[in-house]
Amino acid sequence: MNFRLARVWIAAAMLFARVEAADAHIIAARLGDFYTGALHPLTDLQDLILWAAMGVLAGSLGAAKGRWLVLVFPLGLLAGLVLGRVFGVVSAGPAADAGMILVLGLLLAAAARVPATLLCAIAFGLALMRGAANAGDLGPETDRLLFAAGLACAGYAAITLTMALTLTFRRLDGGPAVAWRGIAIRAVGGWIAAIGLMMMGFALAT
Amino acid sequence: MRYWRVTLLVLAALILPRQLDAHEATLGVLEFREVRPGAFVGRWTMEPSIGAARVDLRVPPHCFLRLPEMNCGEKGLVGPITITNLGADMSAVLIKVIPIGGEPRSYTISSANPVVSLLGTSDPTLQTWVELARTYVNYGIDHILLGADHLLFVLGLIWIVGGGWRLVKTITAFTVGHSASLAAAAFGLIGVPERPLNACIALSIVFVGVEIVKQQRGEAGLTARYPWAVAFTFGLVHGIGFASALAGLGLERRLLPAALLFFNVGVEIGQLAFVLLVLALIWAHRRLDAVLPRWGDALPAYAIGSVSMFWFFGRLLRVLAAT
Repeated sequence: MNFRLARVWIAAAMLFARVEAADAHIIAARLGDFYTGALHPLTDLQDLILWAAMGVLAGSLGAAKGRWLVLVFPLGLLAGLVLGRVFGVVSAGPAADAGMILVLGLLLAAAARVPATLLCAIAFGLALMRGAANAGDLGPETDRLLFAAGLACAGYAAITLTMALTLTFRRLDGGPAVAWRGIAIRAVGGWIAAIGLMMMGFALAT
Repeated sequence: MRYWRVTLLVLAALILPRQLDAHEATLGVLEFREVRPGAFVGRWTMEPSIGAARVDLRVPPHCFLRLPEMNCGEKGLVGPITITNLGADMSAVLIKVIPIGGEPRSYTISSANPVVSLLGTSDPTLQTWVELARTYVNYGIDHILLGADHLLFVLGLIWIVGGGWRLVKTITAFTVGHSASLAAAAFGLIGVPERPLNACIALSIVFVGVEIVKQQRGEAGLTARYPWAVAFTFGLVHGIGFASALAGLGLERRLLPAALLFFNVGVEIGQLAFVLLVLALIWAHRRLDAVLPRWGDALPAYAIGSVSMFWFFGRLLRVLAAT
């Protein structure tokens, strides 16, 4: 079987496999729950802080390390969503989220040189946690596929843009004239760690 | 080989039986007749199959509804009417408003469109215009952002044209095209059946997908050479599609130009937001040097082409099923 024939077979198999989504009306092309999934993280402060902190940390480490997160982060969110829905794994709780914020903040404040593999592991673990947490709020009538697509797209866009913005601001090749920018990012890390510490205290107190 | 491909794709499309099920519409008709300014008598002239009592009808906050009476006071029947529990058992509700003086109007609430904004029964006031703008700008934004087919077409154009002035010209041509045909269709100057039109919209995205592949092979396709001409032409097709979203809302003819303008403004806002997001992501990818490996160059084009071909076959079957 040559390569072209294989492509045709794969295309045909995909068409057969997606019978359910074959509704042809214009409404079927509408996304509905896609935006519910994409906007859902905005309703949770943990998501906002953690995603931003992860993006800033990865961006501050440079493009070579950060770029892997373009794939790893949304895949982690999807995996977390599946774990949450299929296996009933729920959110790790506010203390774990606060702990994660604290760790990310400390890594940023210390300007730690995190290796790419560890960075990917942290990002995947974080995305897994937040994906499961977002799955917990899925309604019974929500289209899970569209919700998952929306969440993954939001994760991809948020992490990619945050990393690129941080990288542009940081200007690793800028020399001593822009050294203050590195300090500014470390200061942001300090604030994030402080937020994590406060949230941790609050979570343990209640 | 080519015949094999066509046969396989046709077979694949034919095996989609779910979309051929005739879906019987479960429609209800609710009539509000104005008996004195701001006061209405409402009754179901066609009761929905789930029973009138189970319909979760929400009227504007200043209106007091206890069927058969509805009192909206001096402000009149202005604002949103919502039915929250539309679904498989009740697909749509037609709301007829019969004012004391003036023409009766009809509004359709469906599961895809569960809110309609009523614009009063008297002459338009400032509040009418504000309500009209709020409703139709939002409706335009919703329509473009929820229409995956329109967005995919715009994405394909961006992919081919890249950034800069060429993109500005191309998107402007698309805007001019769809605005012109939207206006023509809304005023009844042209009319195209919705189902074949939807198939054509899907086909326009297939065309863009093919053009991307051509460009990646080093061939200068029509879109690469004359992007604005292609964008304008297909803009005309997509504009008629936008017009179908305005159909059936029961708008008075005197309010139609303004509604059309606000709807178009909404479409442009949504389209601009999408284009800016895509451009920002392209910039971010370049900044991070996160690009697809060489073997994956063609993936986006094939993804766009496959999804749109999938829609095309589905929509074509709808056309064939209806004839």
